[in-house]
Amino acid sequence: MVAFWRVLRFAFQDLGRNFSMSFMTVFILVLMLLSFNALWSVDILTRQAVSTVKDQINVSIYFSADAKNKAVEDTRSYLAGFPEVVQVDLRSREEVLRLFRERHSLSTEVLSALDELGGNPFGPTIIVKTKEPGDYKKIVEALNAPEYKGLIEAKSFDEHSDAIDKIQNITNRIEGAGMGLTILFALISFLVIFNTIRVAINSQRFEIGIKRLVGASNWFIRGPYLIESVVLTLASVGVTAIILKFALKWVDRYLSVVFSDGFSLTNYYNSHILYVFGVQILAVLVLTIMSSTLAMRRQLKV
Amino acid sequence: MIKIQGVTKVYTANSIALRDISVNIAAGEFVSVIGQSGSGKTTLAKLLIAEERPTRGSIHIGDWNVTNISPNEIPYLRRQIGVIFQDYKLLPKKTIYENVAFALEVAGENGHRIDQVVPQLLEIVGLAKKHDRYPFQLSGGEQQRVAIARSLAHRPKIIVADEPTGNLDTINTEEIIQILKKINEFGTTIILLTHNREVVNSLRRRVITLHGGEIILDQSEGKYVL
Repeated sequence: MVAFWRVLRFAFQDLGRNFSMSFMTVFILVLMLLSFNALWSVDILTRQAVSTVKDQINVSIYFSADAKNKAVEDTRSYLAGFPEVVQVDLRSREEVLRLFRERHSLSTEVLSALDELGGNPFGPTIIVKTKEPGDYKKIVEALNAPEYKGLIEAKSFDEHSDAIDKIQNITNRIEGAGMGLTILFALISFLVIFNTIRVAINSQRFEIGIKRLVGASNWFIRGPYLIESVVLTLASVGVTAIILKFALKWVDRYLSVVFSDGFSLTNYYNSHILYVFGVQILAVLVLTIMSSTLAMRRQLKV
Repeated sequence: MIKIQGVTKVYTANSIALRDISVNIAAGEFVSVIGQSGSGKTTLAKLLIAEERPTRGSIHIGDWNVTNISPNEIPYLRRQIGVIFQDYKLLPKKTIYENVAFALEVAGENGHRIDQVVPQLLEIVGLAKKHDRYPFQLSGGEQQRVAIARSLAHRPKIIVADEPTGNLDTINTEEIIQILKKINEFGTTIILLTHNREVVNSLRRRVITLHGGEIILDQSEGKYVL
């Protein structure tokens, strides 16, 4: 126990007396972590943007005005049975008419034309949402069956099919590129941090040699560096978290314009705080301990 | 008792530091090992503290067989032998008090004893008042005295001093030798590796002369003959 407290004291003494080296190490770690978080945030934003666009896509199935309620209800149940379908909304004839009037409330010509027709010219409408944009084709193909020919007047999917294909394509590419960039960046971070720690320890080669000569065991030599690694890791993740807090607040002001559903990065980070910073603490800790262990290995050989 | 038997140290085929040397050093002796640069003095010091292993031969120090010592035992051996170097080898980021205390701390001495012993050691080498200075704030002679205080921390039975006066002027050299003589008077074996003619001649103690890695002379009350 006495040995542990001594090692702890040596670690903090070294950190304080090698302040410039400690500062530089934390500085580089913070830069790496900030860049990593920037990449992470871009990935989150991309996913959110794609999911927002996906949410806005649906297939509207317009029934003829004389479609029987039972046939419409059967169609709704049939569509709801598809595993790809997330949501099926049925709008009655009256609701469709009301929405049409609301939408064209400023256009007196459209409304007077509607009045000329007399009665309700609209049939019910079913709005279908699926898990993936690619699933819409399956729904539309299912409704191309002959029994729906007289029942369904129009399907709006055709107008969106190009947009859906493009989004699907973009999503796949972004996910692929994001993964590639993350791996590349992780590799660069690893090399930079590994080298920084190695240089820091190599600069203390002389001292390690002296400690060995006065009879210090490997634990007494290695211990302070391991504790320093933990302290530097916590300090760098802490500083990164503080900078991120302000940076995210600033970015969120602009995001509120883009995302109408109230999405904010601050909320995302807050709700995933243990995961986000847990992963980073673990990664930096493994990196710093591994770097210092490898750097010292040669110098601790007798 | 130190027993060195048939020790050879080969670094490379063209670099043979020691050739089949055998020597016994009794407890409490003050032995000067002399020789020109490259004669094998520093290699001998490194072998004694297990920083290097002999290529052939054996070295026994008391009950320790240094030849086959395991890496785990080396720190314990080094706590039994005080070592002094020409370049002092002090920890630059520690005060001189902390430098001396460090040798005791790594050995697991309790804090109370460290607080008692370190001031005494600094008193012996005349640096008690400068305990809070860092090595760079001291002269060469003072730094060497700190190194001596540190080497005494474990009350070692043996002190190996490798060119301890190599960087010092005449006055500081004289001071360091006087301290070493005093330590020897208390029963500690001193092995002084040097090429300082005046020091060796003034001591009038046993002198072992190395040349080209071989012992060419071993006189019980010798002089510098090279």
